[in-house]
Amino acid sequence: SLVIRGEKDEQAVLCSKDKTYDMKIADTSNMLLFIPGCKTPEQLNEDPKSCNIIHSQIAGFSNNYWELRRCRPKLKKLRKLLMEDPYEGPDRCKDQTLTFSRYTTEDLLSLIQASEEEILHQLQVIDACKIEGYWRILEFDYEMKLLNHVTQLIDSESWSLSKVPLRTCLEELGSLEPREMIEHILLSYGRRYVDDGEVYFEMHEDKICRAVAQMLLQNAVKFNLSEFQEVWQQSVPEGMTTRLDQLEGLALVDKSSRPETISLLKVEDLPEDNQERFNSLFSIREKWTEVDITPYIRDLCTEKQTVGALLTKYARCSMLNGVKVYNSRRPIS
Amino acid sequence: SGGAGALARWVLVELQGEVEPRQGGELPGSLLGDLHYTCEGIPVLIVGHHILYGKVVQLEKPFAVLVKQGGAPQPSPGGPQGHYTVTALIKTKLLFKTRPKPIITHVPKKV
Repeated sequence: SLVIRGEKDEQAVLCSKDKTYDMKIADTSNMLLFIPGCKTPEQLNEDPKSCNIIHSQIAGFSNNYWELRRCRPKLKKLRKLLMEDPYEGPDRCKDQTLTFSRYTTEDLLSLIQASEEEILHQLQVIDACKIEGYWRILEFDYEMKLLNHVTQLIDSESWSLSKVPLRTCLEELGSLEPREMIEHILLSYGRRYVDDGEVYFEMHEDKICRAVAQMLLQNAVKFNLSEFQEVWQQSVPEGMTTRLDQLEGLALVDKSSRPETISLLKVEDLPEDNQERFNSLFSIREKWTEVDITPYIRDLCTEKQTVGALLTKYARCSMLNGVKVYNSRRPIS
Repeated sequence: SGGAGALARWVLVELQGEVEPRQGGELPGSLLGDLHYTCEGIPVLIVGHHILYGKVVQLEKPFAVLVKQGGAPQPSPGGPQGHYTVTALIKTKLLFKTRPKPIITHVPKKV
């Protein structure tokens, strides 16, 4: 079945089980008549005997109709809603009080302009978890606290990063944090598998390094790049290697400044609308190389619009010191 | 609801301009005209004393006909607040876009 979703201030979308479509009213100057009983020449040829006079009624007529066009699901709102009340852990008194900023699956289905499958998939992507029936996002500091418990345990037990046992984690850390949270952090930062009847996790090195970088970067506007890289490598768990490409869509390196700097820029903080996204990027930096801008527009791509197509449409290309760069098509105030 | 095979198939007739009822009449209940097909399958529509030639078009994007069911008197906060049921599919249209030709029944003799 199909569902039309949208609040009064939003443009309506139509959702199937797994796809989202923009809805537009299309006008025509022609008159469209709908005729239920009308037969086509093929149908009449099949049954020559029926070719007497057939009385058909025109059911109705119209000058307009709804046109559907497949679109990206509008999921930015999902994160926004869940960030209204991030989960800070069981110790915080805040969690005991009932607030209205908590959302069940049903609530999200009526507020988010996307299909059910797209919504559930996005909840997984942003590492949301269900606590007492409500979908919650972890507050970043609490998430790092949980991750630290796990990485310190991995270190003290000298486990391989690709074979972290669930059972021992729950035993050792269960007194510090809720078991569901320990399992949730392992699921968020690792790949679950079963070996010989026991559950293990293969930790995502890139994702852990990325989280540590975010923790370091969010404390200042800008960092000296080489200093940052040194501190970053020292801060990640033993055995992990940091690489700048792990920070795509999270941080931006400024190679034109002396010394080179790095700052936090999260793609999920940027506008969802294509034109607004490009306006925002060009107000942050006047000229972008394709390599630098791609992580910040990749999520705008659809089947029909690739990164290249987006750049052609929303940016103007020029050469700077022998390198192809993109800037805004219009003056940015 | 129901498989695609269970849905009725309707046909769309597309006319240029507007259709007006005869003087003093209303559209509902009035006769539009007669539809014929030639041996080659070309649709011919006779409206009043005009004749229109059209063509059968298979729609690249089919239409679905939705009928609104009465809304719940008290819409529930979490649930949908209106239902549309897909009643029929339209995959074919008869497009009449050539100018209607008057049917002349009395041709004056040459003098």
